[in-house]
Amino acid sequence: MEEKKPSTADILAKIRAQKAAAAAAPVETPASVSETPATVAASESAPTAAAPPPASPTPAAVPGPKPSSTKDILAAIRAGGAKPAAAPVVNTPAAASAATVASTTSAAPTSAALGPKLSPQEMLQKMREAKGSAPPAAAPAAAVTKTTTPVAAPPMPAKPLPAGKAAKPAAVRRGMASFATVATVSALFLTLGYLLGNSFLIAVGALAWGALLTPFMAAWAAVAGISGIWTLGVARFMFPNVLVEPPSKFKVGPLSDYPLNTVSNKWKDQFGIWVVHTDQYEGRNMIFALASVCTHLGCTPNWLDGEQKFKCPCHGSGFYMTGINFEGPAPRPLERMGLRIAEDGMLEVNKSVKFQEEMGQWTDTTSYVEVV
Amino acid sequence: MTHLTHNPDLTSSVIYGLGWVYLLLFLMNAYWVRRSYAVDGNFRLSLGGILGKGEQIPVAAFWAVYAGLLLMLAVTHLTGANNPLQFSLKMPEILKEPINRASNPVAFFIGSTAIYVLMIVLRKWWTTPTAGWILLNLSILFLALSVTDYDFRQIVGKPDNVPIVAMLYIVGFFTWLYFKKSVDNDERIAAGRPLFEQENNEKVLTWPDLVYSELICMVLLTAVLIAWGIVLQAPLEEPASAAKTPNPSKAPWYFLGLQEMLVYFDPWMAGVVLPSVILVGLMAVPYIDFNKEGNGYYTFNQRKFAVSTFLFGFLPLWVAMIVLGTFLRGPNWNFFSPYEFWDVHKLELLNNINLSELFWIKGLGRPLPVVPPGATFAQQAPIILLREWLGLVGVAFYLVVLPNIMAATVFKKFYVRMGFLRYMVLANLMLMMMSLPIKMVLRWAVNLKYIVAIPEWFFNI
Repeated sequence: MEEKKPSTADILAKIRAQKAAAAAAPVETPASVSETPATVAASESAPTAAAPPPASPTPAAVPGPKPSSTKDILAAIRAGGAKPAAAPVVNTPAAASAATVASTTSAAPTSAALGPKLSPQEMLQKMREAKGSAPPAAAPAAAVTKTTTPVAAPPMPAKPLPAGKAAKPAAVRRGMASFATVATVSALFLTLGYLLGNSFLIAVGALAWGALLTPFMAAWAAVAGISGIWTLGVARFMFPNVLVEPPSKFKVGPLSDYPLNTVSNKWKDQFGIWVVHTDQYEGRNMIFALASVCTHLGCTPNWLDGEQKFKCPCHGSGFYMTGINFEGPAPRPLERMGLRIAEDGMLEVNKSVKFQEEMGQWTDTTSYVEVV
Repeated sequence: MTHLTHNPDLTSSVIYGLGWVYLLLFLMNAYWVRRSYAVDGNFRLSLGGILGKGEQIPVAAFWAVYAGLLLMLAVTHLTGANNPLQFSLKMPEILKEPINRASNPVAFFIGSTAIYVLMIVLRKWWTTPTAGWILLNLSILFLALSVTDYDFRQIVGKPDNVPIVAMLYIVGFFTWLYFKKSVDNDERIAAGRPLFEQENNEKVLTWPDLVYSELICMVLLTAVLIAWGIVLQAPLEEPASAAKTPNPSKAPWYFLGLQEMLVYFDPWMAGVVLPSVILVGLMAVPYIDFNKEGNGYYTFNQRKFAVSTFLFGFLPLWVAMIVLGTFLRGPNWNFFSPYEFWDVHKLELLNNINLSELFWIKGLGRPLPVVPPGATFAQQAPIILLREWLGLVGVAFYLVVLPNIMAATVFKKFYVRMGFLRYMVLANLMLMMMSLPIKMVLRWAVNLKYIVAIPEWFFNI
């Protein structure tokens, strides 16, 4: 695999060299090119010795540039029956020798006389022909130097213009403008009439519409109307008229229901909270409500009474009774919900507010109830 | 008196089923004896001089003895199934104990990485047909013996987990196949012979060869799926409830690698950033890869870096994590040995601390810089950044400075060949991949939770 594919730099260098060679060459018509294929082949392989020869000279010479077209591939196959693709072969003396042959032959005819510059089209043409000359070169090894006459592609006939396209002037759709005006005005009438409850305006609008009504318009209007209704119907689905949430404020019983240093699972299923009574947080005797949502990824942890911790079954996060995270990946403590003593002496949880420890919100007096 | 224990290790049906497994294994090995007799040749057996100069014995004789033992095992199981309490052919406690004791995430990760390394180093040995056959036999024997343990059976025999056992065999087989073909081609390249793919050009036609094979595969697969659907019942559970998470709660099996990753990272990192990096990184591979060799044929030596990097990400970091999550993670996401009872109250001490706490409290003996309550963002930011400076600097070093150091040292050739941008993409993808094992090791070694922990901004690394 000593030969690599030509890099972008190589290709650019090649094109530049080709340009230079083209500039140096005498005035060339396509015909003259076909007569002197050697110059073409030379200009192709001359620029850089590092650049591989334009086509694999022998079927065995493999890691050269990829064949550019189906034609090339076919030619290569016919020539040797080998795969034309760049199949890796370790020992390819043939390739090496072929490369040297190419480079020695290519060195010769570069020094051509100066000539007039070619236009880009001519250069392109030349390049195409150079490519076209490649497949025959791929045939037998002997043909490396003497390229067979390349087939100069005949110039494409000028494309006839599609009849009428150029000649026909753009039709001015005069009807459209007036239609739009009438439609807008009548729509305005209709809307105003509907909004103001004025049947006269509605009638005017409807009449204006009626004046416009052709079967074609009627069909489109029907389509627009129906699809509009459908769209509205679909949009309506986004706003179901039910409220699935449980009330965000609810009573959880009197203080005496929650002995010191216990976690109550009583409201977990229904409201997703634990009521905790503990003196372990800052040494203060308090009751608070913790949301039963893990702060890692939102699973529901379990309160393990034996271990005195909340433990999440999904990724193993653990929280103390106070809600402070201490093990597993949870990055912050459990969230508190609002809690107060209602007028009737019951504890009332307010799930519409939450208090996060890391935000310093646990100092908020609505986040707990101090027991005295 | 047949149910003295609540969870018997052996039941009649288990023994009976194992009998069929051993019978199948016997048939497989009977075939192997035939193959071995034709292929393997003889070896000289002298038994330490008992047989004098020794006798020429076909290698197949060893396999014949082994197959005979298997047949005896099968007969024993099939005939002795009616009295499970008396049946003594089961996983011995002497084997279970060391496995139970050695089982922890550290050992598991080190073990899977070691297997990965051995797989590459010993690729010439384990890709020989005989070695492959020995490994297959060992794995089946291990499974068959382990099934005699109640807890193992509960986990591995769960209909959910059966496909993962199948997946392990499939991954093993295809890895074996890849290495076998690569070793062959690498030897050919070294000897200057043409590649296997060139010498045995198996080019066939789409119609009928490919289409027929596809049809056959389709029919077979449908049959397997139908049989599977009838034999193994879908493991349905109770109706879902937002307030109750099953314990353990497991993702679909193909996401268990991600779930294991979530144990070590913030959900935002392990759930969003890293999966996206994996996907984008895989898409970027064709643009990063500058090695034009190994195109269209199997090889390892010509693509050492690419293959071993990919396999490291795939085998120890993805497949092994799936195995860990499926078989070894139990209630509360604790680690359980394969022969261990899934105790909901298993206590593992996992108290984790952040790097900032390690630095300020343990290192300097000072409290963490605290943000005063009610501080505005502008007042907060300097305090938080001061608190987390070490982690932030560390991460910046890891993702910005380290690639440059690597470019100057280990990846010098890569850097020269790839150019700055491509190299940086490669280096960062590599480092992102390595962040998982690094984070795992840090968690196990020093109980580190987050390198940068800013819960105030939902930013944890």
